[in-house]
Amino acid sequence: MKPVHIYLVIAVLALLPWTLDSQYVFHIATMIAIMIPMALGMNLMLKIGQLSMAQPAFMGIGAYGSALLAIRLGLPPMLALCLSGILAAVIATIVGPVFLRIKGVYFVLLTYAFGQIINLVFQEWTSLFGGNNGLYGIPKFSIFDLRLTAVQHYYIFGLVFAAIAYAAMRAIERSDIGAIYQSLNENEMLSRSIGSNALAWRIAAFTISAFTAGISGGIYAFYIGFLSPDAFGFRLSVDLIVINAIGGAHSVLGPLLGAILVVPLPEVLRDARQYQLLIYGLCLMVFLIFIRKGLVSLIQRQRKSA
Amino acid sequence: MIEQIFVNGLLASLIYVIMALGFTLIFGIMRIVNFAHGEFYMMGAVVVLFLFGNLGWPFFIAAAAGGIITAALGVILERVLFRPLVGDELSGMIMSLAVGIILQSLVLISFGPAEQSMARPFSGTWSFFSAVVPWDRTVVALCAVVILAVFYLFLKYSRTGLAMQAVAQDPQTSSLMGIESGAIYLAAFGIACLLAGLAGGLMAPVYTVGPYMGELPMLKAFVVVILGGLGSIPGAVMGGLLIGLSESVLTTFLGSTAALIASFVIVLLVVITRPTGLMGRSAR
Repeated sequence: MKPVHIYLVIAVLALLPWTLDSQYVFHIATMIAIMIPMALGMNLMLKIGQLSMAQPAFMGIGAYGSALLAIRLGLPPMLALCLSGILAAVIATIVGPVFLRIKGVYFVLLTYAFGQIINLVFQEWTSLFGGNNGLYGIPKFSIFDLRLTAVQHYYIFGLVFAAIAYAAMRAIERSDIGAIYQSLNENEMLSRSIGSNALAWRIAAFTISAFTAGISGGIYAFYIGFLSPDAFGFRLSVDLIVINAIGGAHSVLGPLLGAILVVPLPEVLRDARQYQLLIYGLCLMVFLIFIRKGLVSLIQRQRKSA
Repeated sequence: MIEQIFVNGLLASLIYVIMALGFTLIFGIMRIVNFAHGEFYMMGAVVVLFLFGNLGWPFFIAAAAGGIITAALGVILERVLFRPLVGDELSGMIMSLAVGIILQSLVLISFGPAEQSMARPFSGTWSFFSAVVPWDRTVVALCAVVILAVFYLFLKYSRTGLAMQAVAQDPQTSSLMGIESGAIYLAAFGIACLLAGLAGGLMAPVYTVGPYMGELPMLKAFVVVILGGLGSIPGAVMGGLLIGLSESVLTTFLGSTAALIASFVIVLLVVITRPTGLMGRSAR
């Protein structure tokens, strides 16, 4: 299968909700569109060799930030969304220099602890974040005078952002920056000796992934209209890892395919709710044992043999 | 008041130490961060719920069975699923996530989402100075001390224990010395699961048993182990005591969530200032 064909398939999938014209299908498609930039952010972190469990926290910061700026300060949603995306990025730039000095397992643990603290703050600071009862009354998104009310609108909005995020990540991968990340990952000493500032590049990746997660969170907040802390917990980190593992983490196409495949899974298994988790775990296991490099590697292998 | 805080902290920390020891053993030897450790704790509790709660077996036999069955499960999982991934930290971590998800869902399918409780094998309290100590927690603590002592002696004097320490310190040199790493991986994983299963089994009557019961102990083991230094056994003991006692103090004065936040903040600070934990060896 040529890449062109894969994009053709994705384009057809993106148009599919209109042919089915069901609210429910649109909802799932919108969730996929929101998750794609999240998965891409995780993918960028994996590219620099760091598994970040802080992505849900940045999504939460973007979501709660957008909601509160719009509810409390009455800012136009567009402005609230941009500001909260920037807020997530700024926080990443502040904590990044400390976190990214640390590598491997300790980085995972550190970002995990950071994510838990942020989540506990969402839970405990009830007067601001609404605690476990949730935050209600988030206005609908609007672009100037155009109000996004129906799920179809959010689907298009999410899709546009997902496409931008994908194009940006792909541009990073193909540019010199991508080459620098690869060289840092493969041989940091050598890469530094020819003058690349390892820490600065890592902070840049962390900040970009936080910004993407923040915007995703904002779109999610305006779409769902209500926020609770458990949407931004450990489970979401696991989902992002699963998406990257199943899709394939060594290419940007991987998280895209992974999200399309994994996000609808719980919905498909709705009637067998208790089997959801089981099938989820088994899929992950099968991919780890038999298809280590994910779906993308299957496509590439096929391309080579053809 | 002070005695009560101290006793509460000590009772809590002993279980943390046992959980953290297993967690750190797997990491020290196989370099796998085992996200399924909480689910192994749950398996021990489920066995006790079935054998002691439903079938009426004696409590200690049921708890021992919980440990042994969990260990057997761990040995099988290690051989089939984890061994092929040794050396690949990320894949090992993801595999443990998969194992955790599957164990959780199996319990969810067979027992349902509801938390279940059982009759307590020991009841009543006794007093230590002005502190009131429940008997069931006392029994758990005594068992934990015995388990710790046996584990210590095993590591210090048995051939397998010494080999494990050698592999944890330097896998290459130890394999040159003729230590077969496969057997050590199997033993380490089995013992870690045994510890987690025993901890879960002992705690089962104290709390309720359910599919999500492993998450909090897992979280605590995580915190303890980072604090003490991943892969360090003295670190796990010290970290467990430190977290148990500080949590007891903070819970008394600030409430349990604040205590949890505080323990995470402590961990963040420790890792930032000493990236390998208090007792950890230098990063690889």
